[in-house]
Amino acid sequence: MSDENITGPFHEFADKSGDYYAKTFLKIQKNELPKAHINIAAALGSFIWASLRGNWLLFWIAFVVDLVTLVYLGSAYKFNKSLAGVLEEVAKYTADGNTAAASNKTLLIERYENWTSSSIMTAIVIFIAGRIIFGWLADKIYYRQYNTWRVDHTKPSGLKTNRLVMMTVVLALIAPLMIYRSTQFAPDARTCIKQDRAVVAGKDVSFQDRFNCKVISDFPTLFWIDRPDKVTFPRAEDGTRFIKREEATNKRPINLHTYVSGKIENVVGYLTAFHSYLFDGIKNVLQTLLNALEAVFVGTPWPIMMGALLAIAYYAAGVRIASFVGLSLGYLAFFGFWITAMETLTLVASATCVAIVIGLPLGIWVGKSKRGKAIVTPILDMMQTIPSFVYLLPAIAFFGIGVVPGILATVTFAMPPMVRLTSLGIQHVPESTKEAALAFGANPRQLLTKVELPLAMPSIMAGVNQVVMMSLSMVVVAALIGAGGMGFLVTDALARTDTGKGILAGVGIALLAMMIDRVVQKANKQ
Amino acid sequence: MSDQRRVVVEANNVWKIFGDRADEAMAEVQKSNISKAEVLERYECVVGVKDVSMSVREGEVFCIMGLSGSGKSTLVRHVNRLIEPTSGTIEINGTDVGSLNPEELRAMRADQIGMVFQNMALLPHRTVRDNIAFSLELRNVDAFRRAQAADAVIERVTLQGYGDRYPSELSGGMQQRVGLARALAADPEILLMDEPFSALDPLIRRGLQDEFLALSKEMNKTTLFITHDLDEAIRMGSRIAIMKDGEIVQTGTPEDIVTNPADEYVADFVQGISKLKLVFAHTVMVPVAKYEKDHKKLPAIKNCPQAGPEDDLDTLLTKVVDQDKPLIIMDDGKPVGVVTKDALLHAIKGET
Repeated sequence: MSDENITGPFHEFADKSGDYYAKTFLKIQKNELPKAHINIAAALGSFIWASLRGNWLLFWIAFVVDLVTLVYLGSAYKFNKSLAGVLEEVAKYTADGNTAAASNKTLLIERYENWTSSSIMTAIVIFIAGRIIFGWLADKIYYRQYNTWRVDHTKPSGLKTNRLVMMTVVLALIAPLMIYRSTQFAPDARTCIKQDRAVVAGKDVSFQDRFNCKVISDFPTLFWIDRPDKVTFPRAEDGTRFIKREEATNKRPINLHTYVSGKIENVVGYLTAFHSYLFDGIKNVLQTLLNALEAVFVGTPWPIMMGALLAIAYYAAGVRIASFVGLSLGYLAFFGFWITAMETLTLVASATCVAIVIGLPLGIWVGKSKRGKAIVTPILDMMQTIPSFVYLLPAIAFFGIGVVPGILATVTFAMPPMVRLTSLGIQHVPESTKEAALAFGANPRQLLTKVELPLAMPSIMAGVNQVVMMSLSMVVVAALIGAGGMGFLVTDALARTDTGKGILAGVGIALLAMMIDRVVQKANKQ
Repeated sequence: MSDQRRVVVEANNVWKIFGDRADEAMAEVQKSNISKAEVLERYECVVGVKDVSMSVREGEVFCIMGLSGSGKSTLVRHVNRLIEPTSGTIEINGTDVGSLNPEELRAMRADQIGMVFQNMALLPHRTVRDNIAFSLELRNVDAFRRAQAADAVIERVTLQGYGDRYPSELSGGMQQRVGLARALAADPEILLMDEPFSALDPLIRRGLQDEFLALSKEMNKTTLFITHDLDEAIRMGSRIAIMKDGEIVQTGTPEDIVTNPADEYVADFVQGISKLKLVFAHTVMVPVAKYEKDHKKLPAIKNCPQAGPEDDLDTLLTKVVDQDKPLIIMDDGKPVGVVTKDALLHAIKGET
């Protein structure tokens, strides 16, 4: 096939300057394009060239380069204007003979001069480098446009002037405001709040100031809400609580954020004041579980406990991992972490128990029911993405300071993988296997216990392992609300900036986590 | 030749339409008989099984042959109600399967029907023996009797010594024997075989086919055997139903299907099939009287090669090779027909 036949479509696609693009595309196809190849027309025409060619990716690249250049020039203008202002002041001071005040300003003058010149320099560098890089990119990206056009001839090709309309619209929407922003110092939030109040009070505020507050500063406060009554839940003389409303002393209106957060606080206050039996019940159950586990971990004398842990590691995971466990336990013991580590294990074990008891049935439900999935998945996403510090606060509000809120915060954080991996395991049981069980007369319970759960077991065990690991990662955070254990040593060291102690305790937590992880993983594999 | 054996599985006008609006589509189909394409277009429903009626008799191996998507697997799943028909009924020994409550249905599935799957669908966490005894375990049979029953079928499918292995330790052919053993463990009357040998390589497949034939004859199981392979259907089936687009286009004995294809579709299928073992003397012979009218007189019978009316073409061929004289078909010591070499060659070509 002659070159002419191959370049035919290139010509058809490029339309104007067909010869140039045919030659370039051919070189690209033959892998012969020089490294320093630059499309001069593109480099000069920039976003106008890109929009004429109908390539919007290139348009945005070029547009951003030129816009950034202009923004830097705008700030140079801004700094230069400030410089002029300062110079004027200095001239006035010098005229008044106040040389001390004048020399005070030298630093400011220097700074503005520096900022002005560095802005101009940056603008020049970005403009030139940007245009060169754009010219270098242009043909390569344009060639990709050619490839999509070959598949679908309705995709843009050739050079059409009507595309400039679109370009002008985009330009008009974006460029003026961006450039204006660069020439102005944005007012801060406090200034804008004051301005809002001044406007309400009927004072005269210039349009530019108002425009600056509404558009180039933070997102404006669109409406102000009247301050609601203050609600408290004091005790009456007979000890029962009642709701007390007082008119707010401060009459200033508040924004949406303050309003809603106040309401949330009211709800939390109401629940703790009138439904404390609920939280007390949960607290008692967890406390019982904790005491039982604590009796096992802390109550057992260290020689027996250490021997038991080593034996479990040996039988579950073999000699190598057992010796690693031995070394780690030695570290904890020799550095005086034994009891604290056992307290942490108690915390982790309780959290894991709760997570399994809630997570396993939930996971089965999610795995088997579409509606369960639709309900639970967003909640799990939320539980995992909300920063753990956020639910420490309500945990304290409902349960006070101590180990129980620590466990609940830990469970909230550590349960999602249990639910997810259980449901994943259930969903991955092959449809044909379930069908076979049904064909042999299995009822739903038998299907679950004899087919689905056994087949999902590896996944469920991986979930348990995840729960343990994530519980351990929460012990430091839980220590902040009084959960104690190794986490407390870390937060304590943090408070005293005692680096050495912090590191020792941190290594202890890491060893604890690795120990459990290795043993559980190895046991899972066997 | 009417069959006197008892009907075990009977399907009456079974329809299955898949989709959210299946009932509306079904009503419309029954009212105005719209086509599959129209059902898909107007109701976004797919017709899986279209008005199928069949009856399978005791001890029969009833093959359902069709290409993928023809609805054969869907049809067979109606028998144990893994799929509910949109319309129509299935009867097993005279009981309407659709009328059973969940508990009765489970009892029927466990006691009366064994099923074998193309992909075996064994439980990987159970040993071969526990897999085989699965249906008994579901019926709460005690462990001792379970093990006894399992060991008995393990012997039947010649898997002795593998009872305590796990399925993953076995080859594909052996795994399918386990699948078969599992289906046989509860000694059900009916076997549903959903392309049981399709995933196996040809040599092993042939071996298993022979074993299964022997076993099924010996145990007198009523079998619905699904396959996409006409050769297999002809080997296994006492009768064959050919399915296309959810419909049964022809039901008959292998010989029927091969010699009298009902339509172009079936004819296309059977074109490549060797007729040697499927066509018998009585279909190719001409009566003696007709022969004598068309040709000259018959030569002396004792000088001619002879065969019975139930002999297949293969046997006839061996007899006429190196012979000039026509082949005489003898029944009860009397000549009933004549097969000429030409007639034989035509029959082999499939032109009867």
